[in-house]
Amino acid sequence: MKRNVAIIGGGQTYHAARRHDVNQVEMTNEAIRRALDDAQMRIDEIDAVLVSNMEFFEGTHMTDCWMADGSGAYGKPGIKITTGGTVGATTVCVGAHYVASGLFDNVLCVAFEKQEEGDTGAILSSVAHPLWGRSLAGAAVGYFAMMGSSYMAAWGAKEEHSAMVAVKARQNARKNKYAHLKLDITIEDALNSRMLAWPIRMLDMCPASNGACAMILADEKTAKDRCKKPVWIRAMETAHNEQFELDWRDVKTKRPIFSKVCASRIYKKLGVSDPAKYFDVFEVYEPATWAELVWYEDLGLCKPGEGFKLIEKGMTNIDGPIPVNPSGGVLSTNCIGASAMLRVWEAALQIRGDAGGHQVPKDVNRALTTAYGGTNWAVMTALSKTLD
Amino acid sequence: MTKKEKELISIPITVNVPYRFAAGKYMTKFLMELKNNGKILAIKCPKCGRVQLPPRVVCAQCHVKNDEWVELSHEGTLVAFTIMYLPLTDPTTGKPHKPPFVYGSVRLDGATSVLDHLVNIEPTMDKVWVGMRCKVVLRPQKDRIGDLSDIRCLEPLPGQKKPRG
Repeated sequence: MKRNVAIIGGGQTYHAARRHDVNQVEMTNEAIRRALDDAQMRIDEIDAVLVSNMEFFEGTHMTDCWMADGSGAYGKPGIKITTGGTVGATTVCVGAHYVASGLFDNVLCVAFEKQEEGDTGAILSSVAHPLWGRSLAGAAVGYFAMMGSSYMAAWGAKEEHSAMVAVKARQNARKNKYAHLKLDITIEDALNSRMLAWPIRMLDMCPASNGACAMILADEKTAKDRCKKPVWIRAMETAHNEQFELDWRDVKTKRPIFSKVCASRIYKKLGVSDPAKYFDVFEVYEPATWAELVWYEDLGLCKPGEGFKLIEKGMTNIDGPIPVNPSGGVLSTNCIGASAMLRVWEAALQIRGDAGGHQVPKDVNRALTTAYGGTNWAVMTALSKTLD
Repeated sequence: MTKKEKELISIPITVNVPYRFAAGKYMTKFLMELKNNGKILAIKCPKCGRVQLPPRVVCAQCHVKNDEWVELSHEGTLVAFTIMYLPLTDPTTGKPHKPPFVYGSVRLDGATSVLDHLVNIEPTMDKVWVGMRCKVVLRPQKDRIGDLSDIRCLEPLPGQKKPRG
């Protein structure tokens, strides 16, 4: 990068299925105020504001316009970003580019979703091509169910393995005061939860959350002057997939699909040969349990077909050698537009040592986050404690 | 807190927006062949040889023009499926599919791509599996309307049993 970029502050709301007490702007403003407090900044000091959410989920386009009062964007430069489920990470990416380029010394990145105000299934159906496959579109659950059936047939994993992911996520969430689904559940509970779409049960799926996240990025000088614990953005990658193709459900594919391409490029940039050793913690975007197992493989944390063995051995537990989603992940909190930014912010908290109850019990110097969304594309962000 | 919340109101609003999508040259040819002749056409990339469905002008991988039309078999193999227990709304009709129902991805013989569709089969796990052979069921010719719903569903080929294990 032309200039080094650091995360100098951030904040999130408490996440819940109901936030009837606030409107969209008021809710989002809670995260923004926490981010400003965390960075010890005033809104007047912010150079530019980027706002993101899922297109039309709350029934308005140009949310950046409707939000200018609560986001602090009035009179400032900035843009609205919508890239589907990846959007929170894309917004951090764009903010980092703004700062790295020298255009701005600091940028406020804002991401939110108030899922209760719209019909997520109905709006998601418009992700499908209008003339191809839309009759079965409308819920992510069917897509991830097919991923699960294909994964089980390909590698011999069992429903118990997805249940292990479900339990890990919700038990981690119990340690995270901001998480939505803090459930004290067992593998039996997960296996006995209501079947939604075989092999996906209720506890295999993310909730529909309301919430927001905000982060402040700054250049090296500002970060060192103003921030005791800057977290450095070391690399970012985005990779698209091919529309209409089997993509993520084709778990045995040899084709260069988005997730693997994105990982290999970011590893190349950083000179990573063994990601499980290089990074101390991972925050991945897993709207369903099966997606987390596929991420293990696509990120190269294990060989293809062995993701389910990682969870079986407890390798990715909060106190395991490769902690994945100590926050509880998307499975516990999915305010979609903010979910990908929460991955980055949670990873930053781990590096700062400020994650509180869900801080992983080891030194965290490097973290990797992933985002997934839209018609299968990925955004990855690598963070570090120091600049060496 | 709850009491205070009751003082706040929310306003229900329904947005109903009509659209009209152009199918383009390749999709038009696909839909017209399906409607008039009951054929399923795919397009083959001259460089990588992938037989792509739905037909599109450019191969995303090779960045070259796809120009060889290939007629696909009406039979193929199920590569992923689910039994859906939720009453998913069909966005093209506004009506829910009645659960439980099976849908999946089939790779028609000769195609690189897959087709997602309903599978007309009893929704139990011993009747459906990855690897099951299926065929495409079309609307009778007189009822076809020239969109993807002219493919009504997939159906298992007779005489198969789910492999053990």
